[in-house]
Amino acid sequence: MSDRQTTNVPDADHGLTGVAMSLEAIERRVQTRFPSLATDIAFGELTVHATPDTLVDLLGYCRDDAQLSCEMLADLSGVHWPAGEHIIDRQPSTTGWPEYRVSRERGVVEVLYVLRSMTRNHWFRVSVGTDDEQPRLPSVVDIYPTANFHEREVYDFFGVEFDGHPDLTRILMPDDWVGHPHRKDYPLGGVDIPYKNDKYIPPPDERKLREVIR
Amino acid sequence: MTTTEPAPGGVPDNEIFVDGADWEDVVDAVVDDTITVNMGPQHPSTHGVLRLVLELDGETVLRVKPVVGYLHTGIEKNAEYRTWVQGTTFFTRMDYLAPLHNELAFCLGTERLLGIEVPERAQVIRVIMTEFNRIASHLVWLATGGMELGSTTMMTAGFREREHILDLFESQSGLRMNHAYIRPGGLAIDVTDDFTQRCEALLELLPKKIVEYEDLLLRNPIWNDRLRGIGIIDAERCYALGVTGPLLRAAGVPYDLRKAQPYSGIERFDFDVPTETAGDSFARFLVRIEEMRQSMRIIRQALDVLPGGPVMVEDREIAWPSQQALGPDGIGNDPEYIRHIMGESMESLINHFKLVTQGFTVPAGQVYEAIESPRGELGYAITSTGTNKPYRVHVREPSFVNLQAADEMSSGHMVSDVVVVVASLDPVMGGVDR
Repeated sequence: MSDRQTTNVPDADHGLTGVAMSLEAIERRVQTRFPSLATDIAFGELTVHATPDTLVDLLGYCRDDAQLSCEMLADLSGVHWPAGEHIIDRQPSTTGWPEYRVSRERGVVEVLYVLRSMTRNHWFRVSVGTDDEQPRLPSVVDIYPTANFHEREVYDFFGVEFDGHPDLTRILMPDDWVGHPHRKDYPLGGVDIPYKNDKYIPPPDERKLREVIR
Repeated sequence: MTTTEPAPGGVPDNEIFVDGADWEDVVDAVVDDTITVNMGPQHPSTHGVLRLVLELDGETVLRVKPVVGYLHTGIEKNAEYRTWVQGTTFFTRMDYLAPLHNELAFCLGTERLLGIEVPERAQVIRVIMTEFNRIASHLVWLATGGMELGSTTMMTAGFREREHILDLFESQSGLRMNHAYIRPGGLAIDVTDDFTQRCEALLELLPKKIVEYEDLLLRNPIWNDRLRGIGIIDAERCYALGVTGPLLRAAGVPYDLRKAQPYSGIERFDFDVPTETAGDSFARFLVRIEEMRQSMRIIRQALDVLPGGPVMVEDREIAWPSQQALGPDGIGNDPEYIRHIMGESMESLINHFKLVTQGFTVPAGQVYEAIESPRGELGYAITSTGTNKPYRVHVREPSFVNLQAADEMSSGHMVSDVVVVVASLDPVMGGVDR
C-alpha cells in the first residue's frame, strides 16, 4: 500500500488506558467542533449525521482528537433508501418477497462508518447520505487505510463513487458485472448470467456418457 | 550492443534489443525487471479460493494484491428476502469455521432491536458453544497452516481433535457445521442430558492434545525458521488497516471484545487475553494456542454455573413455536408436539403457522453488534424498517478486513513466505466473499 499514513500511536503499553466517554460526552465533543451536525441516540448507540462536505474533516477530527481517539474504522457499509412509497408485497421470479416500509421524497444511499477507539473503549457511528441517482462521496482512505476494501465493496454493491480512492474497482462481483446488486431496485434472482458456455446441463441421471465427453 | 530506445511513439520505454552482447549488459539495461505472477484462486496454499497477484523482483515479493469474490454468494442480499429466523440459517454459512459466532452476532443484534432478554441458561450455553467453536476454528488453523508448511502430522492431528468438537455440535444441534442452533430469542433446542459429560470429556482430552502440538511445533526448527520474523505487523499498522483478533493481540494490544464489550454474560467468567509483542507469524501461533487454553477455562467455569430453566424467551409472539426433538438425521419436530397442534389445539396450530410462515416483526432501527470471532471483530450492522424481514444486514467480516494487511506483511519476503503470511492471517473465504 502506497499511503503510509501516520495514525494515532497507541499508548506506550498498548493498554486500554483511556477512560471511555459516555455517548452524551462524545455527542457534546463532536457538536462543539461541528455545531451544524445532527446526532441521535437509539438502542444504546450514537449516530452522528454528517454531510458529504464535512465527512473528511469529521473523521480526521475523530481520529486525531485526544479525547475521541478513534484509532480504527471498524466498519463501513451502505444502505439504499429508494425514493417514493414502498410497501412491496410480491415480486415475480424470486424465491421470497421483500417487505419494507420506506417513504422518502428523495432516494438516498446512506453510508455508515463505525468509529472505534480501542484505547478508550468506546464507539459510535457516522452516517452520511448521498443522492442515489449520482451517488458520490469523498474517500476516507487517506485517514483510515482500512476503508480501501470497504469503499470498493460499497461501490460494488451501491454504485457510490468515492473521490480520491486509489483503486475503485468492483471487489466481490465480477469485473464486468452490470448494476449494483444491493440497491433496492435490483431484484434477487431472475438476472441473466452472461457466462460463456452456459449450455443447459442436464441432471446427472439424464446425462449420456457421450455428451459428457463431448 | 544493447540499447534502450527512447520511445518515439508506440514503442515502450523499456523495450530491449539484444544483439549479441554480454548477459550482464542486458540485465543492466533492463530498467524494471519485476514480474507479475498469479497465485490462485485454485492453489493448495491459499486457504480456499483466494487469488493473489504477486509482483516479484526475482524471488522477493514487492507487492501482493489479494483478489477476492470467487465465493460470493449474496447472503446479505438473500437475507433481505427472508424472515429474521431464516436469516440465522444463512449467516451461519458465511464463515464456515465459526458458524456459531455468526449466528450469535446476528441474534444479539436482532435481540437488541427487539429489546428482549434471553434466558440465562441459553446465554451460558451460547458461551460454551461459541468457545468450543473458537477452539475448533483454531485447530483448523493449526491443521491447514501446518499442512501448508509441510507438516502433515499437524494437519491430521488438528482435524482429528476438531472432529471431537464437531461431534459435540452434532449431538446438540444435529449438524456438524452450519447449525442454525442459536436463534433470535434463545436456542433452537435445549442441550441433551449428557451435554455436561460430553463437554467434560473434551476438556479432559484437549489440554493433553495441545501439549502434543506444542511438543511437535514449539521447538521444531523448520516451524521456527519458517514463522519467526515473517509477516511482521505492528500495532499502529493494525489500527490503520483495521486488523483485529489474534493478529492485533500478537502485536501487543490486549484488545478483545469479550473483555471490552462483553456479550452473553461472558464478563462473569475469569480469563486472560494472551498477547505477544513480536507481531510475527510465530507470535500469532503462540497467541492462538494460548487462546484455546483460555477458551477451555471459560467453558469449565460456564459448565459449573449452567443454570436450569428455558432456553427460549417466554414471549409467544417471538419464540419459535415448535417443540423440537433430536433424531438420528438432525433436528425435527417433536411427535408429541405435532399431535398437540394437529389434534388438540386449533389456536396452537394457527400460532405455529403464522410464526413459521410470516415470522415476527422487529422494530425499526439500526444496530451494530460486534463480537470476538476466532479471527477478530465480527460485526453485524442491521437495519430494520419494522417488518418481518431485515431491510439490510451488512457483515463486517474480520477475514475480509484482515486480508488487506497481506500486502504489507509479505512485501520484502520471499515468495514462499507469502504462504506463511496468508496462513497466519487465517482468512476464511466463505467469510471474505459472503
